[in-house]
Amino acid sequence: MHIMEGFLPATHALGWSAASAPFVAYGLRTINKRITENPEQRMLLGVAAAFTFVLSALKLPSVTGSCSHPTGTGLGAILFGPTAMAPIGMVVLLFQALLLAHGGLTTLGANIFSMAIVGPFAAAAIFRIAKAALLPFGVSIFLAASCADFLTYITTSAQLAFAFPDPVGGFSVSFARFAGVFAITQLPLAIIEGLLTVVVMNALVRFNNRELQVMNVTDVPVVREAQL
Amino acid sequence: MLTEQSAYSNRWRRITPVAKGTFSLCGMIAAFSCASSTAALAVALVIATATILGAGVPILCYLRIAVPALFFLLASGLSLAVSVDFSSTLPAGTVLRLATSELPRVAYICSRSLACLAALLFMTMTTPLTDMISLLRRCHVPDTLLDLMTLCYRTLFVLSEATRETMVAQSARLGYSTLRISLRSLGGMIANLALQVWQRSQALHLAAQARNNDGALRFLEPDYPDAPRSISIATAAGGIMIALTLALP
Repeated sequence: MHIMEGFLPATHALGWSAASAPFVAYGLRTINKRITENPEQRMLLGVAAAFTFVLSALKLPSVTGSCSHPTGTGLGAILFGPTAMAPIGMVVLLFQALLLAHGGLTTLGANIFSMAIVGPFAAAAIFRIAKAALLPFGVSIFLAASCADFLTYITTSAQLAFAFPDPVGGFSVSFARFAGVFAITQLPLAIIEGLLTVVVMNALVRFNNRELQVMNVTDVPVVREAQL
Repeated sequence: MLTEQSAYSNRWRRITPVAKGTFSLCGMIAAFSCASSTAALAVALVIATATILGAGVPILCYLRIAVPALFFLLASGLSLAVSVDFSSTLPAGTVLRLATSELPRVAYICSRSLACLAALLFMTMTTPLTDMISLLRRCHVPDTLLDLMTLCYRTLFVLSEATRETMVAQSARLGYSTLRISLRSLGGMIANLALQVWQRSQALHLAAQARNNDGALRFLEPDYPDAPRSISIATAAGGIMIALTLALP
Protein backbone atom coordinates (compact mmCIF):
# COMPACT_ATOMS: atom_id res chain seq x y z
CA MET A 1 0.00 0.00 0.00
CA HIS A 2 2.01 2.92 -1.32
CA ILE A 3 1.67 6.55 -0.32
CA MET A 4 1.40 8.67 -3.44
CA GLU A 5 4.19 10.98 -4.63
CA GLY A 6 4.03 14.41 -2.95
CA PHE A 7 1.15 13.38 -0.69
CA LEU A 8 2.96 13.78 2.63
CA PRO A 9 4.05 17.21 3.93
CA ALA A 10 7.78 17.91 3.52
CA THR A 11 8.55 17.54 7.25
CA HIS A 12 6.88 14.12 7.39
CA ALA A 13 8.57 12.98 4.18
CA LEU A 14 11.96 13.94 5.63
CA GLY A 15 11.12 12.48 9.04
CA TRP A 16 10.16 9.07 7.65
CA SER A 17 13.26 9.05 5.46
CA ALA A 18 15.38 9.73 8.54
CA ALA A 19 13.55 6.96 10.42
CA SER A 20 14.15 4.45 7.61
CA ALA A 21 17.80 5.37 6.98
CA PRO A 22 19.33 3.48 9.98
CA PHE A 23 17.50 0.27 9.01
CA VAL A 24 18.64 0.53 5.40
CA ALA A 25 22.21 1.30 6.55
CA TYR A 26 22.18 -1.67 8.93
CA GLY A 27 20.72 -3.87 6.17
CA LEU A 28 23.49 -2.78 3.80
CA ARG A 29 26.09 -3.56 6.47
CA THR A 30 24.58 -7.03 6.91
CA ILE A 31 24.56 -7.56 3.15
CA ASN A 32 28.20 -6.44 2.89
CA LYS A 33 29.10 -8.96 5.58
CA ARG A 34 27.19 -11.69 3.76
CA ILE A 35 28.91 -10.80 0.48
CA THR A 36 32.35 -10.86 2.12
CA GLU A 37 31.68 -14.34 3.51
CA ASN A 38 29.84 -15.64 0.41
CA PRO A 39 30.55 -13.58 -2.72
CA GLU A 40 27.73 -15.31 -4.65
CA GLN A 41 25.25 -13.61 -2.32
CA ARG A 42 25.78 -10.35 -4.25
CA MET A 43 24.10 -11.83 -7.32
CA LEU A 44 21.51 -13.67 -5.26
CA LEU A 45 20.30 -10.55 -3.45
CA GLY A 46 20.25 -8.53 -6.68
CA VAL A 47 18.13 -11.16 -8.43
CA ALA A 48 16.01 -11.41 -5.25
CA ALA A 49 15.21 -7.70 -5.65
CA ALA A 50 14.04 -8.37 -9.22
CA PHE A 51 12.00 -11.32 -7.93
CA THR A 52 10.29 -9.09 -5.35
CA PHE A 53 9.60 -6.47 -8.04
CA VAL A 54 8.05 -9.07 -10.37
CA LEU A 55 6.10 -10.53 -7.44
CA SER A 56 4.64 -7.12 -6.60
CA ALA A 57 3.47 -6.74 -10.21
CA LEU A 58 1.51 -10.01 -10.21
CA LYS A 59 -2.25 -9.81 -10.08
CA LEU A 60 -3.71 -11.53 -7.07
CA PRO A 61 -7.21 -13.06 -7.39
CA SER A 62 -9.49 -11.35 -4.92
CA VAL A 63 -12.68 -12.54 -3.28
CA THR A 64 -14.40 -9.32 -4.28
CA GLY A 65 -13.79 -10.09 -7.95
CA SER A 66 -11.27 -7.30 -8.42
CA CYS A 67 -7.50 -7.75 -8.57
CA SER A 68 -4.76 -6.59 -6.27
CA HIS A 69 -1.01 -7.11 -5.91
CA PRO A 70 0.97 -9.06 -3.31
CA THR A 71 3.61 -7.17 -1.32
CA GLY A 72 5.95 -10.15 -0.98
CA THR A 73 7.33 -8.80 2.29
CA GLY A 74 6.48 -11.93 4.29
CA LEU A 75 7.91 -14.33 1.72
CA GLY A 76 11.01 -12.17 1.25
CA ALA A 77 11.64 -11.93 4.99
CA ILE A 78 11.36 -15.72 5.39
CA LEU A 79 13.57 -16.48 2.37
CA PHE A 80 16.22 -13.77 2.61
CA GLY A 81 15.96 -12.45 6.18
CA PRO A 82 14.37 -9.21 7.48
CA THR A 83 17.57 -7.15 7.63
CA ALA A 84 18.36 -7.81 3.95
CA MET A 85 14.79 -6.90 3.04
CA ALA A 86 15.25 -3.22 4.03
CA PRO A 87 17.74 -2.41 1.19
CA ILE A 88 16.03 -4.88 -1.17
CA GLY A 89 12.67 -3.28 -0.38
CA MET A 90 14.18 0.15 -0.92
CA VAL A 91 15.39 -0.84 -4.40
CA VAL A 92 12.02 -2.40 -5.25
CA LEU A 93 10.08 0.65 -4.06
CA LEU A 94 12.44 2.98 -5.92
CA PHE A 95 11.97 0.96 -9.11
CA GLN A 96 8.20 0.93 -8.65
CA ALA A 97 8.29 4.72 -8.40
CA LEU A 98 10.63 5.16 -11.37
CA LEU A 99 9.27 2.51 -13.72
CA LEU A 100 5.58 2.38 -12.80
CA ALA A 101 4.93 5.78 -11.14
CA HIS A 102 3.68 3.75 -8.19
CA GLY A 103 4.60 5.41 -4.88
CA GLY A 104 7.14 8.19 -5.19
CA LEU A 105 10.52 9.66 -4.39
CA THR A 106 9.33 12.11 -1.72
CA THR A 107 7.34 9.35 0.00
CA LEU A 108 10.04 6.70 -0.45
CA GLY A 109 11.12 6.91 3.21
CA ALA A 110 7.57 6.44 4.49
CA ASN A 111 6.92 3.57 2.08
CA ILE A 112 10.22 1.90 3.02
CA PHE A 113 9.31 2.15 6.69
CA SER A 114 5.93 0.46 6.27
CA MET A 115 6.71 -2.09 3.54
CA ALA A 116 10.42 -2.85 3.83
CA ILE A 117 10.92 -2.48 7.58
CA VAL A 118 7.72 -3.06 9.57
CA GLY A 119 6.39 -5.79 7.23
CA PRO A 120 9.52 -7.99 7.03
CA PHE A 121 10.51 -7.57 10.69
CA ALA A 122 6.95 -8.37 11.78
CA ALA A 123 6.90 -11.42 9.49
CA ALA A 124 10.21 -12.71 10.84
CA ALA A 125 9.18 -12.11 14.48
CA ILE A 126 5.76 -13.74 14.08
CA PHE A 127 7.31 -16.70 12.25
CA ARG A 128 9.77 -17.24 15.14
CA ILE A 129 7.05 -16.90 17.76
CA ALA A 130 4.83 -19.36 15.87
CA LYS A 131 7.76 -21.78 15.61
CA ALA A 132 8.46 -21.43 19.32
CA ALA A 133 4.77 -22.09 20.02
CA LEU A 134 5.16 -25.31 17.96
CA LEU A 135 2.44 -24.30 15.52
CA PRO A 136 2.34 -26.27 12.25
CA PHE A 137 4.62 -24.95 9.47
CA GLY A 138 1.73 -23.87 7.23
CA VAL A 139 0.01 -21.98 10.05
CA SER A 140 3.28 -20.23 10.98
CA ILE A 141 3.83 -19.13 7.39
CA PHE A 142 0.22 -17.98 7.03
CA LEU A 143 0.35 -15.96 10.25
CA ALA A 144 3.72 -14.41 9.34
CA ALA A 145 2.71 -13.38 5.80
CA SER A 146 -0.81 -12.17 6.53
CA CYS A 147 0.15 -10.32 9.75
CA ALA A 148 3.07 -8.66 7.89
CA ASP A 149 0.61 -7.45 5.27
CA PHE A 150 -1.85 -6.34 7.93
CA LEU A 151 0.81 -4.46 9.93
CA THR A 152 2.07 -2.79 6.76
CA TYR A 153 -1.40 -1.42 6.14
CA ILE A 154 -1.79 -0.36 9.78
CA THR A 155 1.57 1.47 9.58
CA THR A 156 0.55 3.29 6.39
CA SER A 157 -2.73 4.31 8.03
CA ALA A 158 -0.78 5.59 11.05
CA GLN A 159 1.62 7.52 8.79
CA LEU A 160 -1.28 9.20 7.02
CA ALA A 161 -3.05 9.88 10.32
CA PHE A 162 0.11 11.54 11.71
CA ALA A 163 0.35 13.70 8.61
CA PHE A 164 -3.34 14.57 8.42
CA PRO A 165 -4.88 14.45 11.92
CA ASP A 166 -8.60 15.10 12.21
CA PRO A 167 -9.25 18.79 13.06
CA VAL A 168 -11.51 17.76 15.97
CA GLY A 169 -10.64 14.21 16.99
CA GLY A 170 -6.91 14.34 16.22
CA PHE A 171 -4.75 11.32 15.44
CA SER A 172 -7.07 8.57 16.71
CA VAL A 173 -10.09 9.66 14.66
CA SER A 174 -7.95 10.17 11.59
CA PHE A 175 -6.33 6.74 12.08
CA ALA A 176 -9.76 5.11 12.38
CA ARG A 177 -10.85 6.88 9.20
CA PHE A 178 -7.83 5.74 7.11
CA ALA A 179 -7.77 2.23 8.58
CA GLY A 180 -11.53 1.89 8.03
CA VAL A 181 -11.39 3.03 4.40
CA PHE A 182 -8.39 0.84 3.54
CA ALA A 183 -9.64 -2.23 5.44
CA ILE A 184 -12.17 -2.95 2.68
CA THR A 185 -9.39 -3.93 0.28
CA GLN A 186 -6.44 -4.68 2.55
CA LEU A 187 -7.92 -7.27 4.93
CA PRO A 188 -8.99 -9.76 2.20
CA LEU A 189 -5.65 -9.08 0.49
CA ALA A 190 -3.71 -9.96 3.67
CA ILE A 191 -5.60 -13.26 4.00
CA ILE A 192 -5.09 -14.15 0.34
CA GLU A 193 -1.38 -13.27 0.47
CA GLY A 194 -1.05 -15.43 3.58
CA LEU A 195 -2.63 -18.39 1.77
CA LEU A 196 -0.49 -17.77 -1.31
CA THR A 197 2.70 -17.71 0.76
CA VAL A 198 1.75 -21.05 2.33
CA VAL A 199 1.30 -22.55 -1.16
CA VAL A 200 4.67 -21.11 -2.28
CA MET A 201 6.59 -22.33 0.78
CA ASN A 202 4.96 -25.78 0.62
CA ALA A 203 5.93 -26.08 -3.05
CA LEU A 204 9.50 -24.95 -2.30
CA VAL A 205 9.89 -27.37 0.60
CA ARG A 206 8.33 -30.23 -1.36
CA PHE A 207 10.11 -29.81 -4.69
CA ASN A 208 13.21 -27.70 -3.99
CA ASN A 209 14.25 -28.61 -0.48
CA ARG A 210 17.74 -29.59 -1.62
CA GLU A 211 18.25 -26.16 -3.26
CA LEU A 212 16.98 -24.42 -0.14
CA GLN A 213 19.59 -26.21 1.97
CA VAL A 214 22.45 -26.16 -0.57
CA MET A 215 22.08 -22.43 -1.18
CA ASN A 216 21.86 -21.84 2.57
CA VAL A 217 19.52 -18.95 1.91
CA THR A 218 16.65 -19.91 4.09
CA ASP A 219 16.75 -20.92 7.72
CA VAL A 220 17.63 -24.63 7.44
CA PRO A 221 15.88 -25.72 10.67
CA VAL A 222 12.67 -24.29 9.18
CA VAL A 223 12.98 -26.63 6.23
CA ARG A 224 13.77 -29.59 8.46
CA GLU A 225 10.82 -28.76 10.64
CA ALA A 226 8.61 -28.54 7.59
CA GLN A 227 9.62 -32.00 6.54
CA LEU A 228 8.33 -33.47 9.79
CA MET B 1 7.60 -1.07 -20.03
CA LEU B 2 6.21 2.19 -21.39
CA THR B 3 8.43 4.32 -19.17
CA GLU B 4 11.52 2.62 -20.54
CA GLN B 5 10.34 2.92 -24.15
CA SER B 6 9.80 6.62 -23.71
CA ALA B 7 13.09 7.07 -21.81
CA TYR B 8 15.07 5.58 -24.69
CA SER B 9 13.20 7.27 -27.53
CA ASN B 10 12.59 10.86 -26.40
CA ARG B 11 14.33 13.94 -27.83
CA TRP B 12 16.22 14.65 -24.60
CA ARG B 13 17.69 11.15 -24.34
CA ARG B 14 21.25 12.47 -24.91
CA ILE B 15 20.97 15.34 -22.41
CA THR B 16 22.97 14.72 -19.26
CA PRO B 17 20.91 13.14 -16.45
CA VAL B 18 22.37 15.75 -14.06
CA ALA B 19 20.43 18.47 -15.93
CA LYS B 20 17.21 16.45 -16.01
CA GLY B 21 17.62 15.46 -12.36
CA THR B 22 18.18 19.11 -11.40
CA PHE B 23 15.03 20.25 -13.23
CA SER B 24 13.00 17.43 -11.70
CA LEU B 25 14.29 18.24 -8.20
CA CYS B 26 13.47 21.93 -8.73
CA GLY B 27 9.97 20.86 -9.82
CA MET B 28 9.47 18.97 -6.57
CA ILE B 29 10.82 21.90 -4.50
CA ALA B 30 8.48 24.23 -6.41
CA ALA B 31 5.56 21.88 -5.72
CA PHE B 32 6.25 22.01 -1.98
CA SER B 33 6.82 25.79 -2.09
CA CYS B 34 3.39 26.48 -3.57
CA ALA B 35 1.02 28.36 -1.30
CA SER B 36 -2.12 27.51 -3.26
CA SER B 37 -3.53 24.65 -5.29
CA THR B 38 -3.65 26.90 -8.39
CA ALA B 39 0.11 27.47 -8.21
CA ALA B 40 0.74 23.73 -7.73
CA LEU B 41 -1.46 22.94 -10.74
CA ALA B 42 0.49 25.53 -12.77
CA VAL B 43 3.76 23.79 -11.80
CA ALA B 44 2.30 20.43 -12.85
CA LEU B 45 1.19 21.92 -16.17
CA VAL B 46 4.60 23.50 -16.89
CA ILE B 47 6.49 20.26 -16.16
CA ALA B 48 4.04 18.11 -18.12
CA THR B 49 4.34 20.52 -21.07
CA ALA B 50 8.13 20.31 -20.90
CA THR B 51 7.89 16.50 -20.95
CA ILE B 52 5.39 16.26 -23.80
CA LEU B 53 6.37 19.20 -26.03
CA GLY B 54 10.02 19.60 -25.02
CA ALA B 55 11.16 16.00 -24.77
CA GLY B 56 8.64 14.80 -27.34
CA VAL B 57 7.08 12.10 -25.20
CA PRO B 58 3.86 10.94 -26.96
CA ILE B 59 0.86 12.26 -25.05
CA LEU B 60 -0.91 8.88 -25.15
CA CYS B 61 2.12 7.18 -23.67
CA TYR B 62 2.28 9.90 -20.97
CA LEU B 63 -1.39 9.46 -20.12
CA ARG B 64 -1.14 5.66 -20.00
CA ILE B 65 1.50 5.95 -17.30
CA ALA B 66 -0.11 8.88 -15.49
CA VAL B 67 -3.71 7.62 -15.38
CA PRO B 68 -3.19 4.67 -12.95
CA ALA B 69 -1.28 7.04 -10.65
CA LEU B 70 -4.10 9.58 -10.96
CA PHE B 71 -6.67 6.96 -9.93
CA PHE B 72 -4.46 6.22 -6.95
CA LEU B 73 -4.36 9.94 -6.17
CA LEU B 74 -8.16 10.10 -6.43
CA ALA B 75 -8.49 7.24 -3.94
CA SER B 76 -6.00 8.90 -1.58
CA GLY B 77 -7.83 12.23 -1.92
CA LEU B 78 -11.20 10.60 -1.20
CA SER B 79 -9.82 8.99 1.94
CA LEU B 80 -8.83 12.47 3.12
CA ALA B 81 -12.13 14.04 2.10
CA VAL B 82 -14.34 11.71 4.13
CA SER B 83 -14.79 12.08 7.86
CA VAL B 84 -15.94 9.49 10.37
CA ASP B 85 -18.87 10.34 12.58
CA PHE B 86 -18.64 8.14 15.67
CA SER B 87 -21.44 9.94 17.47
CA SER B 88 -24.09 8.92 14.99
CA THR B 89 -27.37 7.81 16.48
CA LEU B 90 -28.21 5.78 13.41
CA PRO B 91 -28.49 2.00 13.84
CA ALA B 92 -25.41 1.51 11.66
CA GLY B 93 -23.33 3.33 14.31
CA THR B 94 -20.33 4.89 12.58
CA VAL B 95 -21.02 6.96 9.46
CA LEU B 96 -18.63 8.15 6.73
CA ARG B 97 -19.41 11.72 5.57
CA LEU B 98 -17.89 14.06 3.01
CA ALA B 99 -16.07 16.71 5.03
CA THR B 100 -16.85 19.84 3.00
CA SER B 101 -14.73 22.05 5.26
CA GLU B 102 -11.70 19.90 4.42
CA LEU B 103 -12.12 20.17 0.65
CA PRO B 104 -9.75 23.17 0.09
CA ARG B 105 -7.01 21.38 2.04
CA VAL B 106 -7.62 18.16 0.09
CA ALA B 107 -7.49 20.11 -3.19
CA TYR B 108 -4.16 21.66 -2.16
CA ILE B 109 -2.63 18.30 -1.16
CA CYS B 110 -3.82 16.62 -4.36
CA SER B 111 -2.53 19.41 -6.60
CA ARG B 112 0.85 19.35 -4.82
CA SER B 113 0.92 15.60 -5.32
CA LEU B 114 0.06 16.10 -8.98
CA ALA B 115 2.95 18.57 -9.41
CA CYS B 116 5.37 16.11 -7.75
CA LEU B 117 4.06 13.31 -9.97
CA ALA B 118 4.68 15.48 -13.05
CA ALA B 119 8.26 16.10 -11.85
CA LEU B 120 8.78 12.37 -11.27
CA LEU B 121 7.38 11.49 -14.70
CA PHE B 122 9.61 14.13 -16.30
CA MET B 123 12.66 12.35 -14.91
CA THR B 124 11.55 8.78 -15.54
CA MET B 125 10.17 9.33 -19.05
CA THR B 126 13.23 11.17 -20.33
CA THR B 127 16.03 9.25 -18.58
CA PRO B 128 16.78 5.51 -18.82
CA LEU B 129 17.28 3.80 -15.48
CA THR B 130 20.92 2.96 -16.31
CA ASP B 131 21.61 6.71 -16.59
CA MET B 132 19.89 7.30 -13.27
CA ILE B 133 22.06 4.63 -11.64
CA SER B 134 25.15 6.39 -13.08
CA LEU B 135 23.83 9.64 -11.61
CA LEU B 136 23.41 7.97 -8.20
CA ARG B 137 26.99 6.64 -8.47
CA ARG B 138 28.19 10.23 -8.93
CA CYS B 139 26.19 11.16 -5.82
CA HIS B 140 28.30 8.59 -3.88
CA VAL B 141 25.46 6.17 -3.16
CA PRO B 142 27.02 2.97 -1.66
CA ASP B 143 28.28 0.45 -4.23
CA THR B 144 26.32 -2.41 -2.66
CA LEU B 145 23.04 -0.57 -3.15
CA LEU B 146 23.99 0.32 -6.74
CA ASP B 147 24.90 -3.32 -7.42
CA LEU B 148 21.50 -4.39 -6.12
CA MET B 149 19.87 -1.83 -8.42
CA THR B 150 21.93 -2.83 -11.44
CA LEU B 151 21.26 -6.55 -10.96
CA CYS B 152 17.61 -5.94 -10.23
CA TYR B 153 17.20 -3.85 -13.38
CA ARG B 154 19.04 -6.32 -15.61
CA THR B 155 17.16 -9.39 -14.39
CA LEU B 156 13.65 -8.09 -13.83
CA PHE B 157 12.87 -8.26 -17.56
CA VAL B 158 14.15 -11.86 -17.69
CA LEU B 159 12.01 -12.84 -14.70
CA SER B 160 9.01 -10.94 -16.11
CA GLU B 161 9.32 -12.90 -19.35
CA ALA B 162 9.57 -16.19 -17.43
CA THR B 163 6.47 -15.20 -15.43
CA ARG B 164 4.53 -14.33 -18.57
CA GLU B 165 5.43 -17.61 -20.28
CA THR B 166 4.55 -19.67 -17.20
CA MET B 167 1.21 -17.91 -16.84
CA VAL B 168 0.36 -18.51 -20.51
CA ALA B 169 1.18 -22.22 -20.10
CA GLN B 170 -0.88 -22.40 -16.88
CA SER B 171 -3.83 -20.52 -18.42
CA ALA B 172 -3.79 -22.88 -21.44
CA ARG B 173 -4.32 -25.71 -18.93
CA LEU B 174 -7.19 -23.85 -17.17
CA GLY B 175 -4.85 -22.98 -14.30
CA TYR B 176 -6.78 -19.83 -13.45
CA SER B 177 -10.37 -21.07 -13.85
CA THR B 178 -11.40 -20.79 -10.18
CA LEU B 179 -10.12 -18.91 -7.16
CA ARG B 180 -8.76 -22.07 -5.53
CA ILE B 181 -6.97 -23.24 -8.68
CA SER B 182 -5.69 -19.68 -9.31
CA LEU B 183 -4.06 -19.58 -5.88
CA ARG B 184 -2.48 -22.97 -6.43
CA SER B 185 -1.19 -22.04 -9.90
CA LEU B 186 0.12 -18.69 -8.69
CA GLY B 187 1.83 -20.35 -5.72
CA GLY B 188 3.45 -22.97 -7.95
CA MET B 189 4.65 -20.29 -10.33
CA ILE B 190 6.15 -18.13 -7.57
CA ALA B 191 7.90 -21.17 -6.08
CA ASN B 192 9.33 -21.96 -9.52
CA LEU B 193 10.37 -18.34 -9.90
CA ALA B 194 12.08 -18.42 -6.49
CA LEU B 195 14.08 -21.44 -7.64
CA GLN B 196 15.05 -19.56 -10.80
CA VAL B 197 16.33 -16.71 -8.57
CA TRP B 198 18.94 -19.05 -7.10
CA GLN B 199 19.79 -20.77 -10.38
CA ARG B 200 20.15 -17.52 -12.31
CA SER B 201 22.16 -15.86 -9.53
CA GLN B 202 24.54 -18.85 -9.52
CA ALA B 203 24.94 -18.57 -13.28
CA LEU B 204 25.57 -14.81 -12.99
CA HIS B 205 28.13 -15.37 -10.25
CA LEU B 206 30.00 -17.92 -12.38
CA ALA B 207 29.92 -15.55 -15.37
CA ALA B 208 31.24 -12.68 -13.23
CA GLN B 209 34.00 -14.88 -11.78
CA ALA B 210 35.00 -16.00 -15.27
CA ARG B 211 35.59 -12.29 -16.02
CA ASN B 212 37.67 -11.78 -12.84
CA ASN B 213 35.00 -9.70 -11.17
CA ASP B 214 35.76 -9.29 -7.50
CA GLY B 215 34.02 -6.06 -6.57
CA ALA B 216 31.37 -3.60 -7.61
CA LEU B 217 29.69 -3.96 -11.00
CA ARG B 218 30.79 -1.05 -13.17
CA PHE B 219 29.77 -0.10 -16.68
CA LEU B 220 31.06 2.43 -19.18
CA GLU B 221 29.22 5.72 -18.90
CA PRO B 222 28.22 7.56 -22.08
CA ASP B 223 29.44 11.08 -22.83
CA TYR B 224 26.81 13.78 -22.98
CA PRO B 225 27.38 16.68 -25.38
CA ASP B 226 27.18 20.22 -23.94
CA ALA B 227 26.65 18.94 -20.39
CA PRO B 228 27.60 22.25 -18.62
CA ARG B 229 25.23 24.19 -20.89
CA SER B 230 22.37 21.73 -20.27
CA ILE B 231 22.93 21.88 -16.51
CA SER B 232 22.95 25.72 -16.58
CA ILE B 233 19.69 25.85 -18.58
CA ALA B 234 18.00 23.28 -16.32
CA THR B 235 19.14 25.09 -13.17
CA ALA B 236 17.95 28.45 -14.51
CA ALA B 237 14.56 27.04 -15.59
CA GLY B 238 14.12 25.24 -12.27
CA GLY B 239 15.19 28.32 -10.31
CA ILE B 240 12.71 30.53 -12.18
CA MET B 241 9.96 28.01 -11.50
CA ILE B 242 10.70 28.01 -7.76
CA ALA B 243 10.93 31.82 -7.68
CA LEU B 244 7.57 32.13 -9.46
CA THR B 245 5.85 29.73 -7.07
CA LEU B 246 7.25 31.70 -4.12
CA ALA B 247 6.07 34.96 -5.67
CA LEU B 248 2.57 33.69 -6.49
CA PRO B 249 -0.06 34.24 -3.79
